[in-house]
Amino acid sequence: MGVLALKINKKGTIMAKNITIYTTNTCASCAMVKKWLGAKGHSYDEVNIDNEPHRQAEALAVSGALTVPVTVVTKEDDSQEVVIGLNLARLAPALA
Amino acid sequence: MADAKIHDLVIVGAGPAALSCAVYTTREDIETLLYEKAVPGGLISTTDWVDNYPGFPDGIEGLTLGDNMRKQAERFGAVIELGEVLGLKKQGDIITLDTTDGDVQAKSVLIATGSGYKKIGVPGEDAYYARGVHYCATCDGAFYRDKRLVVVGGGNSAVQEAMFLTRFASHIDMLVRSDFRASDVLVKELESKFADKITVHKGIITDEILGAEIDGMNKVNKVLGTDKATGKKVEFETDGVFVFVGLQPNTGFLKGSGVELDEIGLIKSSADTLTTAIPGVFVAGDCRADATLQIATAVGEGATAALKIREFLEGHL
Repeated sequence: MGVLALKINKKGTIMAKNITIYTTNTCASCAMVKKWLGAKGHSYDEVNIDNEPHRQAEALAVSGALTVPVTVVTKEDDSQEVVIGLNLARLAPALA
Repeated sequence: MADAKIHDLVIVGAGPAALSCAVYTTREDIETLLYEKAVPGGLISTTDWVDNYPGFPDGIEGLTLGDNMRKQAERFGAVIELGEVLGLKKQGDIITLDTTDGDVQAKSVLIATGSGYKKIGVPGEDAYYARGVHYCATCDGAFYRDKRLVVVGGGNSAVQEAMFLTRFASHIDMLVRSDFRASDVLVKELESKFADKITVHKGIITDEILGAEIDGMNKVNKVLGTDKATGKKVEFETDGVFVFVGLQPNTGFLKGSGVELDEIGLIKSSADTLTTAIPGVFVAGDCRADATLQIATAVGEGATAALKIREFLEGHL
């Protein structure tokens, strides 16, 4: 069995390998999360449920909530952290 | 971004009052830092459409108006930090703000934290938050394509957001506690253009929000109320509830600070100078007692505060 090489940052936490954010066109908090991620140098995939309404069930399934923004941080060990809303107090540590 | 610098002015909030003040202070070379915990532009950024702000003859999207105000303030050098102010105290001439990024010090402070939407305070409201109970139509309306909705409230926000939600919902029951408090223009627009999709029920007190297990998830399915005229119980089948029943000032962080609040948490101030009970701490916009809760007046108060802050700082810079 091979050894799984995880990317570990200076604080010893497992780094994010993928970020997906669920948004709508009119959601101001979504725009802020995207702006914040960009300012911190994080790239992300965006699922806009106005443009892709069939994917709103996906946003609901992952968050358990009928709201956006929902940010899904997938880490190097494939664990996921889901942050609902514009919640920098949770998003910043998730991406630390 | 805790640092040893003593800022000329720290503004708590980045809504219309805050950004208007920042435009004026930065143009006067008063170094200005704003702290915003959510979205620059404030509550208007979550408002679908603004028709009553001068200078936009065809109206403007709330999100665009807020973003334009932010850009204008930043063009003159205002710095906006995303973070939350948790407390405030003054020692000597220095005001220290406890923030999520550490302590920040200033010679003057403007509190322009505005308001958030108030809850109804009925059973089921907290339990179904974001699972059928919502306070932001522009954020969460898209989850209700071809669904039935209830909108609670009769003010400008309720009418404006109910009309916005018709983009998604198949039908909306609007529960108004007494009569509309919204402007005549908005009410006429609702009645003339949206009567087929929005049914208005006046004199209805909302009592409870109920839910059931639907598609493996506990979701809202009914709103119970009382008809004030007859005293009879009424119920409305629905897939979700959007609540717009007034505003709650964002001033909780000031408890114990020495800034005087009224019984609902609005900040008391001198109407002439916009100063609070603490010298050097000013207030403008929706979080101020006696404010008239309009974007235009918030912008005016922001500009007035800037001039008063300049006068205050002339003795300190």
